[in-house]
Amino acid sequence: MTTHAPAHEIPTVEGRREPDYLRVTKGFMSWVTTLDHKRIGLMYLFGVTLAFIVGGIFAMLLRAHLWNPGPDGQMFSPQDYNQLFTLHGAFMVFAFIIPAIPGSIANFALPLLIGAPDVALPKLNLASFYLWLFGTVLLSYSAITNGLDTGWTFYTPWSLKSQTAVLSAGLGVFVIGFSSIFTGLNFLVTMHKMRARGMGWFQMPLFCWAIYASSVLQVLATPVLGITVALLAFEHIYHIGVFDPAEGGDPVLFQHFFWFYSHPAVYIMILPGMGIISEVVSTHSRRPLFGYKLLAFSSIAIAVISFLVWGHHMYTSGQSEFAMQAFSFLTVLVAIPTAIKMWSWVATIWGGSIALTAPMLYAIAFLVIFTIGGLTGVYLAALAIDIHLHDTYFVVAHFHAVMMGSTAIAFFAGVHHWWPKMFGRMYNEKLASIAAIVILTGFMVTFLPQFEMGSQGMPRRYATYSEQWVGYHRASTVGAMILGAGFALMVGYLLHSLIAGRKAKPNEWGGVTLDWKCPTPPNLYNFDDEPIAGKLYDYGPTLKR
Amino acid sequence: MANTSHDSHHHDVVVDHSHHGHVSTFQIFLRVYVTLCVLTIVTVAASQVDFGGANMLIAVLIASIKASLVVTFFMHLKWDTAMNNIAFLGSLLFLSLLFLFTLADFATRGMADPTQMSPIR
Amino acid sequence: MSHATIVTPTPEGGFQPHTVAHHFKTAEQEFQAAKFAFWLFLVTEVMLFGGLFAAYIYYHGFYPKSFQAGGSLLDWRLGALNTMFLLTSSWTMANGVRCSQLSRRKEMVVWLWWTVVLAGGFMVVKYFEYSGKFHHGIFPFTQVWHPEGHYGEVLAGVAFPKLFFNIYFTMTGIHGLHVLVGMIAIGWLIWRGGQGRFHSGWYIPVDLIGLYWHVVDLIWIFLFPLLYLVP
Ligand SMILES: [Cu+2]
Repeated sequence: MTTHAPAHEIPTVEGRREPDYLRVTKGFMSWVTTLDHKRIGLMYLFGVTLAFIVGGIFAMLLRAHLWNPGPDGQMFSPQDYNQLFTLHGAFMVFAFIIPAIPGSIANFALPLLIGAPDVALPKLNLASFYLWLFGTVLLSYSAITNGLDTGWTFYTPWSLKSQTAVLSAGLGVFVIGFSSIFTGLNFLVTMHKMRARGMGWFQMPLFCWAIYASSVLQVLATPVLGITVALLAFEHIYHIGVFDPAEGGDPVLFQHFFWFYSHPAVYIMILPGMGIISEVVSTHSRRPLFGYKLLAFSSIAIAVISFLVWGHHMYTSGQSEFAMQAFSFLTVLVAIPTAIKMWSWVATIWGGSIALTAPMLYAIAFLVIFTIGGLTGVYLAALAIDIHLHDTYFVVAHFHAVMMGSTAIAFFAGVHHWWPKMFGRMYNEKLASIAAIVILTGFMVTFLPQFEMGSQGMPRRYATYSEQWVGYHRASTVGAMILGAGFALMVGYLLHSLIAGRKAKPNEWGGVTLDWKCPTPPNLYNFDDEPIAGKLYDYGPTLKR
Repeated sequence: MANTSHDSHHHDVVVDHSHHGHVSTFQIFLRVYVTLCVLTIVTVAASQVDFGGANMLIAVLIASIKASLVVTFFMHLKWDTAMNNIAFLGSLLFLSLLFLFTLADFATRGMADPTQMSPIR
Repeated sequence: MSHATIVTPTPEGGFQPHTVAHHFKTAEQEFQAAKFAFWLFLVTEVMLFGGLFAAYIYYHGFYPKSFQAGGSLLDWRLGALNTMFLLTSSWTMANGVRCSQLSRRKEMVVWLWWTVVLAGGFMVVKYFEYSGKFHHGIFPFTQVWHPEGHYGEVLAGVAFPKLFFNIYFTMTGIHGLHVLVGMIAIGWLIWRGGQGRFHSGWYIPVDLIGLYWHVVDLIWIFLFPLLYLVP
């Protein structure tokens, strides 16, 4: 445990009362056994970035495979292709997107934003990280040994018959699920019991509201994934029959269970990203968020509605027509709180004193792509249209617009926003701006053609395709390589900044939330003196319109 | 913990008298326990009578009454904070959504297309 | 920030003081945080078992006859006995928590011992139930009963009876695992309680494990009529 040394024993540090959390203790062990939320956050940041790189390499490989329509002249056998897209999905969903923002950025920033010295349950926080690590190791083990060809959704009955490493991958998902529950539970308790003096619920920054909503989902939905994966494992080993039609079971029940978790899970992924965008948009255009309460309640509304819509993944699965209509209607409702958020962000920027900093550029990329992802989601919610678009590249492009183009980009906006706070160093802003533009361009080149060929009927998860889509696929592959280059550039300048970046200012962006009112980088217990929350997003009278 | 540096440095030790938690009485627990036992007998008795389709409903109803007694008194939820109440009751609400929609699907299959009807009844 | 060490008031008579964790400002904050966290944990338990109950309801709807036939082969008298074991242990646990709140160390330990003994009784009955089923070829995951015997008669012509048995074994198995974990946790409470760790100033571990134990009872309250008295 990181023992807190009394103040008088610490060598004086220039300009600060206590040494920062990065230097207060040293050595490998002081990191791997730390209970400090900021260090755990950094370990998560390092880990999920590695997972993102692994998942990204899978993505570029499968895009390279699709350069030629095949079956001749392709890089991989169809079986290997099945494994590539499965592993890409499994890594990106379970090892990267779900833990990315809660584990790294929220872990680092949430206690700072509410003026707390730590999360409420520091040991559980560390346990969450190690569970994530263990689960990810299991996923990697599956990838290295037998691979996985079920798709990240593990649909029965194929997942019962597949000879690939379904069991170890399933166990990995199970373990990561518990890591996710621990994180969510911890944040809920932290926000309820650890807020600074003077911070009522509606003085909480909107990032906290977003994390609150996604934490509720993590706690409520993830246990169902756990029991589903456990039943799948029993079914796989012992053929207990619950998901196997040959034994009287119903694969549709598996899909109900799976999507009862996995639809809320897409909001576990996107809600924290929305929270980051709220903070970034406000700080970098120096305006209080427009419609604070609407934004807060829309997060909660999204969380609640997300439990009522899971059947929209099952329009062609054989559920009843009545259920499909109900699910279709309820799904469209999600558009309301989502649109409220879009309008609020745009209205916040409008008339603000906009600084086109790197975090702001990523946030703008988010706003552009999320509009595309959100609106195409309404198409897919509509029952009749989805029957046509189901399992095509249109779906692939839609969820990449919200997962990769929105969540991942919001994650990077957050990384750039809090980077100076995390390390006390600044990255090369020029390179950061170039990378943001490259990534936005790469996204468009990759996925706009996929929307088009999807609407023409190109099915997803196929190793080969007909000649008519060669142009679209090649454009998409070029886009994926542009994306890869953008991300490589980002990792490069971020790492470079750790060694040679200029020293960050104490308040690099002129932020007004509590996270900018503690030393940079923060102390071991964050603040010099116990913080007292004042007016939220108070940029002073002169900067208001 | 934070007080390991006691010897080397003078720390204030504060005794925190803020009180928490509700203490119930033995009598309440005993009464709840006896009621639970009686309801168990009722459960068994009700299962021996054929109420047609209502047997399931009756069994679940009695079990729910028993469960709410345990939650309210043994688990002190009656005297607990509002948020703990909301958390637990909220979980039941969301769980009922899982039941409701899965059953709605299952119960309405084949209404438009009889070939989609569930297998052997 | 200042780092005064906060302790909770400790009664006379060999009790040990409790130090509040450094990141909390008051003992009350620590208590409420622990309690809220544990209720959230119970929420995850409810959702986890909820999935199994959903599977039960779903297939009961598909194959009501199979579930009735399967249920009739379970001995409801043993199920009722186990219900009594768990209900009683829930009551003794509630009393144990009460005694810890009142700093009645000896009484608390006695109530907790009763809880463990009753839980052990539950597991013994469960052992005989399971081995009785194994004797007739009804194993978890695989079932091979003799077509001529009583089981063969009851299950003849019934669609997919193994679904019922597998759901029975999965639900009671996971529940039994929770009973075992609870017994270990209560054993730990007895050990630490004997050392005087729990008293009116600090009884949160007893309180939380008590809550867990009641949830174990809660789940059985539903399992008993649904599995043994299949309507
Ligand atoms: Cu969905």
